Amino acid sequence: MTDPTPETVAALLSRAVAGDISVARIAALSGGAASATYAVDAQRAGQPWPLILQCAAAGGVSEGALPKADQAALQSLAGQHHIPVAEIIAVLRPQDALGEGFVMARIAGEALAPKWLKAEGYAAARAGLTVQCAQVLARLHAIPLAKVAGLALPGGRTGAARARMFALYRSFSVNSPVFDLAFAWLAERCGDAEPAAIVHGDFRSGNFIIDATGLAAVLDWELAHLGEGAEDLGWLCANAWRFGIWQKPVGGFGEREALYEAYAAAGGARVDRARAHMWEVWGTLRWGLACLQLGHDHVSGRVRSVERAAIGRRVSEVELDLLHLIRFGDI
Amino acid sequence: MSEQIEAATLVEAVAAFMKSVEGELAGRSAFHAKVAANALAIVARELAQAPQAAEQAALAGYLGHEAGLDALRAELCGRLRAGQLTPETPGLLEALSEAVIAKVAVDNPRYATLARMQGA
Repeated sequence: MTDPTPETVAALLSRAVAGDISVARIAALSGGAASATYAVDAQRAGQPWPLILQCAAAGGVSEGALPKADQAALQSLAGQHHIPVAEIIAVLRPQDALGEGFVMARIAGEALAPKWLKAEGYAAARAGLTVQCAQVLARLHAIPLAKVAGLALPGGRTGAARARMFALYRSFSVNSPVFDLAFAWLAERCGDAEPAAIVHGDFRSGNFIIDATGLAAVLDWELAHLGEGAEDLGWLCANAWRFGIWQKPVGGFGEREALYEAYAAAGGARVDRARAHMWEVWGTLRWGLACLQLGHDHVSGRVRSVERAAIGRRVSEVELDLLHLIRFGDI
Repeated sequence: MSEQIEAATLVEAVAAFMKSVEGELAGRSAFHAKVAANALAIVARELAQAPQAAEQAALAGYLGHEAGLDALRAELCGRLRAGQLTPETPGLLEALSEAVIAKVAVDNPRYATLARMQGA
C-alpha cells in the first residue's frame, strides 16, 4: 500500500470513467481511526471534478468490519432508494496499490455540525432537517434485506450485540459502576430480536453535508450493519451529537415527536417510545465506550495523542448522561 | 504552604505559556494546543477539588464500609454484574449521581447535564 498520487488516482479514474481525465491535487483530510480521507481535485473533459478518495487506514478494514467495496455498494444502493449520498465513482482494486477504498463525488456544503447547527444562514436548512432525517431513515429501513444478501454487513441478534459491547468494555479493564448499571438496565430491556433492517450505524449531525436547502448527503456508511431500525433513531438523539444544544434532542436541531411522526408518515414503523428510549441509552453507552477506546489508544501507546487522552476524560460526561436518562427517562 | 512552587502553580504557569504561544501555531498543532490547555485546566481543577475523595465518600457511604476508591468501584461493578445490585436498588442511582457530579465538575464544569443534575 502506498500514498495516493495524482498519477495513481488519475489512472484508476480513467479505468472507471471514459473521457479526458486529469488530477491536479490530492490533499489529506483529517481522517477517522479506521479510514484515511483525501480531497481530490480532478478535471473531466476540461471541467473541475471535485472528488473524495477514502481508503481503509491500515490498507484493509479490521476483522468483521464492512469491506470498503461493500460500503461503496451499500452507498450506491441507498442512492437508488432516494437517500442523498455522494455518487460512487470507482472502487479500488488490488493493482491500484492503495488498499481497500473507493472514490466518490465531493458534495458541496457544510460538514462541520457546530457551524450549521448555529449559523443563521442555515436556519431554513435546520427547519426541514428533522423531517428529512426521518424520511432517509424510513427509506433505508424499508430496503429489503434480500438486496444486501451479497454484502458482508455485520450484525446479529440484539442480545449478541449487547454482549459484544460488554466484552469491549471489559477489554479496557476499567471499572465504571455507571457503565455496568447501564449494561444491566439494557439487559432487562433490549431483548434478542433477529436483525430486520439495514442500520446506518453512525447517523448523526457530524455525518451530514448540509446546504441551504437541508440534507445534501449522508456520509460515513462504514458502521452500517443489520439490526433494528430504531437504533439509528436513538443514536441520532444521543446528547454527544447535539453539540451543546441539548434542548433539541434530535441532533441539536429537532424534537423527538416530530422525528417519530415523520418517520411513520414516510413508511417507517410506528415508534415505540420505550423502545426509542432504550436505543438512546444504548447509543449513549456506545459513545461512552468510544471515549474509553480513544483514551485506551493513548494509554496503551497505540496512538499517543493529547486529544485522545482528553477525550478519555469525557467518560464522566457520558456517565452523567446515562444517569439522567435512567433516572428521569429523558435527557 | 510547604513549597514555594506547588503543583497548582506549575500547572498555571504552563497553561499561561501555552496561551502565549497559541498564536504562533497553525492547523493541527493549534488545535492540539487548545486541547492541551483544556487538559491543564482539568488538572488544575482536580488539584483544587479532589473529586476522587468525593467519589470515594459517596460510594463508601452507599456500600456502608470504607475502602480505597478502586476497591469500591470494583465491588459495585462486581455486584452489578452478578445481579446483586440493579438499577432499581434503592439509593444506588442517587449515590452514583453524587459521585459522577463531582467528577464532571472537574472534567467539564460547563457541561449542561451537570447543572441539570445538580438541580434535580
